[in-house]
Amino acid sequence: MVLQKILPLQNRYFHLTKPAMNNIFELKRFGLLLKKTVMERPVQLFGLCGLILAATLAIYSALLHFTNWNLAQNLSFVWCFAGGGCFLASIVFGYFGTNASGSAYLTLPASTFEKWLCGVLIVGVAFPGLFLVFFRLMDASFVMAYHNGLDKNSPAYKVMYKAVQVYTFDNAFVKDSIIIYANFVGAMMVGSLYFNKVSAIKTAMVYSGGLTIIYFLNLFLANAAFRNVDIAFPFNSIMIKVGNGTGILELPSNVSNIVHIAILYIIPTVLWITAYIRLREKEI
Amino acid sequence: MIEFNNLSFGYTSKKLLYKNLSLTINQGSIYGLFGKNGAGKSTLLKNMVGTLFPVEGSILINGMTPQKRQPSFLQTIYYIPEDVFVPSLTIKQYKNLFAPFYPEFNEDNFHTYLNDLEVSVDGKLNKLSFGQQKKFVIAFALACNTKVLLMDEPTNGLDIPSKTQFRKLIASVMFDDRIIFISTHQVRDLENMIDNVIIVDNGDLLLHASVASICNKLCFKTVAEIPLNAKILYEERALKGTAVVIENIYAEDSKLNLEQLFNGVTENPTITKQIFSSN
Repeated sequence: MVLQKILPLQNRYFHLTKPAMNNIFELKRFGLLLKKTVMERPVQLFGLCGLILAATLAIYSALLHFTNWNLAQNLSFVWCFAGGGCFLASIVFGYFGTNASGSAYLTLPASTFEKWLCGVLIVGVAFPGLFLVFFRLMDASFVMAYHNGLDKNSPAYKVMYKAVQVYTFDNAFVKDSIIIYANFVGAMMVGSLYFNKVSAIKTAMVYSGGLTIIYFLNLFLANAAFRNVDIAFPFNSIMIKVGNGTGILELPSNVSNIVHIAILYIIPTVLWITAYIRLREKEI
Repeated sequence: MIEFNNLSFGYTSKKLLYKNLSLTINQGSIYGLFGKNGAGKSTLLKNMVGTLFPVEGSILINGMTPQKRQPSFLQTIYYIPEDVFVPSLTIKQYKNLFAPFYPEFNEDNFHTYLNDLEVSVDGKLNKLSFGQQKKFVIAFALACNTKVLLMDEPTNGLDIPSKTQFRKLIASVMFDDRIIFISTHQVRDLENMIDNVIIVDNGDLLLHASVASICNKLCFKTVAEIPLNAKILYEERALKGTAVVIENIYAEDSKLNLEQLFNGVTENPTITKQIFSSN
């Protein structure tokens, strides 16, 4: 009898003292969202990742067959990392193809920040991690097979052995690839939130168009300032024909630094934050 | 409570669909939102759930702003769009992934509703027919026990027994602090179920009244001759005379005919306003 009286009071007490829900981030809710995001579309997410890794293996093998080690390692890395990341980025927020799936996504009780973070974790952490591990294993296997196939008694053994090494992720090409990845993936995330259907193609067209305009604008300005301009790709350098040769006109170091900082940090940051703002403002 | 305060909405800023709409929707009622195709029913629902934003004015649902799409708001509201979306999951997987977002979700009720609506529980949801998918989403939405339940054309795609079952279910899940808001152009599907009627057309709120108030102010009957000196909202030739909706000046008892009411209100908005503005 006493217990019957206490229990409702206790429930009421706990109800009254229940802490207010955090509307921006709650770890438990985020965990549920991440689980739901991955498990809801396993074929799309895991399938695409598997396809990217398979394509990496195929491209690496083909390039190795037709070109040399250095080119095979560099090109397969940048194409598959940045290209694959772009495709993946186009589907992490790809819920807006239909009104029903878009509504279901937007009205799921999780915060916009959590939804954005979920996408960012997939394309910004999980995929790069997976790709780097796979690329290292694949590359190391090929290099090991090459090393094992060398004739140890050959006088050129040492030279040939040293000529091919496992691809290091701290070289300049990888750093450039990461910059390209951050920019392209950021652009693709923003694009997928602007275009509800075939967002990957539409975004690629918009950005290609934008880059083309920037290139010709830069070329136009370079031609206005200099004669015999050969190439004026934004924004690092201008190549000028001098007689039969070509000279490179570089930006002053202080301006070059600003350009580098913009490409390295500012543009990707703006793009990735724009994706969050766009998701918050998204209507369907 | 849902409050629309001078809400204006348009898909383009030049052409507004709703202009200065003010409306209060109280708890403990089932509202039927009626309108022709393209009248703005779905738009109103989307504004309520926060997937469309008002151009001007505001909406408050139990003191919260839908536009912010905060989790504390979203877990108290469930919106079923006209075309439902179900992923490639089994019912159990779906429940395990989605139900934890709704703290009031009741699993026993969920299975009861699935059983009542005769939803096939085998296989992946996306392999079910459209009607089965819709019934599944309705069962899940009801089991979430949210304070506000918005449904856009919920009976589209349902067979006749399912429509009957749907009406029974809705009546059974109604409680005092809940608002059920059903938008449809199939007025007959909601007969005997709703207790408040909202009729919109071209973004105008033509009628917002309780069923009791409508039956108090209007009389639905079939007459041999149309009475003189009565405000006639609607008339239609029938087998045994003329079916009319007229002002209920003699306090007659009659049964609400939603279809005739809808036709009368949309055809004669001025007379409607005259009748419903008088005490």
